[in-house]
Amino acid sequence: MFCLSILKDTVAIHPSNFGAPPEDALIAEINKKYANRVLHEVGLCICVFDIAEAGEGKVRYGDGFLWYKVVFRLVVFRPFTSEVIVAKVKSSDEDGIRLTVGFFDDLYIPVAYLPQPSAFDPNERAHFWLPDSALTTTTELLDTPVAERMYIDQGEVIRVRVESDEFCDDEPGPPKVTEGVQMKHEPKRPPYVVCCSIAEQGLGPVAWWNGSTQVEEGDEEMEQG
Amino acid sequence: MEVVNPRSALLSNYEVLSLLRELESDNLLRTKAALRIKKEEETANGAGSSLPLAGNPHLEASENLRTIEVEAIGYLSADYLPITAQSEDGITKLVRGLAPYNLTKAEKLQIVNLAPTLPVELYVIVEELEERFGDRIDEILEHVQASLTSGPKESTLTNGINGQTSYTAVTEASVVVQEDDTWDEDADAIYDEEIFDDTGAGNGVEGDLEMDED
Repeated sequence: MFCLSILKDTVAIHPSNFGAPPEDALIAEINKKYANRVLHEVGLCICVFDIAEAGEGKVRYGDGFLWYKVVFRLVVFRPFTSEVIVAKVKSSDEDGIRLTVGFFDDLYIPVAYLPQPSAFDPNERAHFWLPDSALTTTTELLDTPVAERMYIDQGEVIRVRVESDEFCDDEPGPPKVTEGVQMKHEPKRPPYVVCCSIAEQGLGPVAWWNGSTQVEEGDEEMEQG
Repeated sequence: MEVVNPRSALLSNYEVLSLLRELESDNLLRTKAALRIKKEEETANGAGSSLPLAGNPHLEASENLRTIEVEAIGYLSADYLPITAQSEDGITKLVRGLAPYNLTKAEKLQIVNLAPTLPVELYVIVEELEERFGDRIDEILEHVQASLTSGPKESTLTNGINGQTSYTAVTEASVVVQEDDTWDEDADAIYDEEIFDDTGAGNGVEGDLEMDED
């Protein structure tokens, strides 16, 4: 899930931080800039791991900052393709399932990567899987008795395989008129999206494969139905 | 900014968690130190000297860092990940034990991260498990089992986001307790001084209340 990336940057230290050891000041400054940010084709930065190299701090004309050229290593969240990770279901809709790992929640399972045959139940707002069933169409699947369905509920812990990831770098458009005109919020694409799959033996809700919690789930659904 | 190498090395979840924990405790210590310096300055000013104490400035952790730190620790120490039962020695032993099996680096990393104890979990991680290992699957699972401590450590066990909030609450509480300790040392003297230093309107009220109590 995590890896180290080596980056090079020029970092400015404010005079008020001159009293601190330069290394600490640099790390604080780099963390301020990179932590919790998605870098294109790198991943989601977590924090500084260490500083590999730092030059002499230089003062430029015009400000009192000390400018350091620094090479440092960052801890980055970027699961590799085919890696298996454990995540929680954040929400479900017709197009698939959205997952979260707490600090990052742009993990998606598209419908095509769900175990087959499966369908989306609009009443429960959840996808379900019918193991060992010959049915294929959604209407047929929705006619089956609820007790047989294996639901993937919200908040469930789920084991997934990373299939691909994608970075989007949307340029900010021209400035919009704010006075008098209602601002229209366009749906923004997330900068980093990870596409996952559970269409495989052993993937999906962890409880499916432990063989222990399935009974409880069945009970719940009986009560609801 | 220039990316020299986007992926120079892989990190296990355990390493990331210990790094983040270290960062958090570091930050806590710094905050405490800054608090103490601030307090000393205040009392010094109250005694008449206007000289601010020269000390190292407080490097504040940015909001972004705090957010991701708390959330990542919350995820990594959740009860559905095996980290709470893992230890540095256990992982070292596990990696050594896995060396003769010709697993790829990525497979070993995932075994360390997920600590599979059931065959079905191992099937997902290792490609063509049956052809490659056949009846040695159980051996691998035994290695994993041996690397885990039986009971999760209570002190580090946090449960998802809720657990995380309680964790921070506990650390905050410890700060408060520490402050109380310093109060107790020469309680009355400092307390009076603090009251006179206070410029707020609550100052007089507080004094009155105390009189009433007496």
